Amino acid sequence: MSGIRVRRFLAAVRAALVVIAIFVMLIPIIWIFLAAFKNHVDVYQLKLFFTPTLDNFATVFEPPYLLGPKLLNSTLVALATVAVAIPVATMAAYGFSRFRLIGETAMLVVILATQFVPAVVIILPFFVMFRDIGLLDTRIGLILVNLAIVMPFAIWMIKGFIDGIPLDTEEAAMVDGSSRLGVIRDIVLPMAAPGLLTAGIFCFIIAWNEFLFALILTNKHSVTLPIGLALFKGEEGDLWNLLSAAGIIIMAPMFVLALIIREYFVRGMTMGAVR
Amino acid sequence: MAEVVLTNLTKRWGPAVGVDNQSLRVEDREFLVLLGPSGCGKTTTMRMIAGLDEPTAGDIHIGGRRVNDDLPKDRDIAMVFQNYGLYPHMTVFDNIAYPLKVRGTPKSEIPKRVGRAAEQVELTGFLDRKPKALSGGQRQRVALARAIVRTPKVFLMDEPLSNLDAKLRVTMRGEIKRLSRELRVTTIYVTHDQVEAMTLADRVAVMKDGVIQQLGTPDEIYDDPANMFVAGFIGSPAMNLISGSVRGGVFLADGGAALVRIGAPDLDRAVLGVRADDLRPVGKGTGDVDAAVHVFENLGESTLLTLRIGEQRVMARGGRHERKKPDEVVGVTFNADHLHLFDPESGARVRFRGGG
Repeated sequence: MSGIRVRRFLAAVRAALVVIAIFVMLIPIIWIFLAAFKNHVDVYQLKLFFTPTLDNFATVFEPPYLLGPKLLNSTLVALATVAVAIPVATMAAYGFSRFRLIGETAMLVVILATQFVPAVVIILPFFVMFRDIGLLDTRIGLILVNLAIVMPFAIWMIKGFIDGIPLDTEEAAMVDGSSRLGVIRDIVLPMAAPGLLTAGIFCFIIAWNEFLFALILTNKHSVTLPIGLALFKGEEGDLWNLLSAAGIIIMAPMFVLALIIREYFVRGMTMGAVR
Repeated sequence: MAEVVLTNLTKRWGPAVGVDNQSLRVEDREFLVLLGPSGCGKTTTMRMIAGLDEPTAGDIHIGGRRVNDDLPKDRDIAMVFQNYGLYPHMTVFDNIAYPLKVRGTPKSEIPKRVGRAAEQVELTGFLDRKPKALSGGQRQRVALARAIVRTPKVFLMDEPLSNLDAKLRVTMRGEIKRLSRELRVTTIYVTHDQVEAMTLADRVAVMKDGVIQQLGTPDEIYDDPANMFVAGFIGSPAMNLISGSVRGGVFLADGGAALVRIGAPDLDRAVLGVRADDLRPVGKGTGDVDAAVHVFENLGESTLLTLRIGEQRVMARGGRHERKKPDEVVGVTFNADHLHLFDPESGARVRFRGGG
């Protein structure tokens, strides 16, 4: 009897810990979610009950804030980054996975090592180079920078997926009459599709959230959403309600993507990690 | 339809030798089995024929054409892999149809030919399934159907039955035999299972350490082994290899026991090879030699006696109703027509007049 009671007690403790953990993780999001629907008076009070308003979401798209172009910039930059990164990373990953290359290990390590270089270290050369070739404050410039950030990650992740495809399967296709490119098209891409989707979404999220490079390399035309948040720090003080509304707009696609990749997430991460 | 000719074929990975300067001619429509323990080079040989591995040296001809520099797709072969190599994202139909599709078979003809191939391996009801929803035996059938859906010059089969359970293996072995009789396409079949080799092959090439030890019909391999390796590898139980010497036309086991008369000249060191089936247990004192029973095993359809001859153990096949106790002394009769002598140093066969 006491064994069951102990077990029940432990279950309750576990449930309580989970609730606390969720609460700690979600509290900023809850706060921002509430603030986004408050007017500028309510926002300074920790009220849970108030008259919600959608005005904030309209205001952020109006002058002087004009979040619309920034939303467009963010979307275009992130999508273009994914559109270039995934095909190129797939080809690189296939090469690393299936061929014995001279200096293969060294190349893989170097690719991985670029991930550990602090962004602030390389931001200056980027700035100087972009200034000289006229890429400052352009979407193309931002896309290039984002590619530099996401490619190593995408290569490693997709390589993990391709490593997981049995070599037999590809060899069977080659014997069956397929060329190497045919094998990639008919066998590798369909089998690695969940991995490509996961990697693509991760790249999108990284590019979408990228802040530091966009802050330094843009100032007017190609400003992205995260930089746009700084707009709401005006002479009237911090406009928390507008800031929160913009925050929701930034977060919303992330929640949608999280839902899409939920089922691939674990598989994608473990395959990328173990292999 | 074509013969496959390997000329001085060699595969090395750095200092490691996979296949060592081997030549082999597989006749048109022949079923040739490459048999050997793991790491003997049989799979490497097959992969070089398929074009999946590149030979270090030597030539491969298929149907009179040198294919060394051809991609696998240009060699007009079909292959069955040990792990089946099915396309998991495609249905059984699409799996079988794939070789036709990539080779540009007219679309209207594909369903007909897939249907016929599926029929030949009794898969007709499963065409809409994905490989994941099939049992091991069914997957193997898909792999077979994918191979026979075209008529290639050569079939290559790489241990196609080794992932199946024992019972299914026997069934599928029969299926492969039936298919090969029907299709009459040159087939090269790799296995480490001597029963598959014995039952399926027109000829068997026994390999070890990258070298073909013997090439011959199953009968030749079984009854007339070229060396001690082949003698010990083929047969279950393996051939008894008794070391001793030959003096005055009699084989003496180590320790001095005279075993059997043999028409060979005197040899200081020799190994006598004799199959358990060619040793008959008889009454004590009535055979060629007496020996004590070490282990007695009842296999159901026959019995197996492990006997002590000096320090050596020798197996003899007894009748179904034979019953012996350990340490009981029995007589043994050698079948004089099936005695083999080997040189213990080189392992080579020592031929003698009157001997098999």
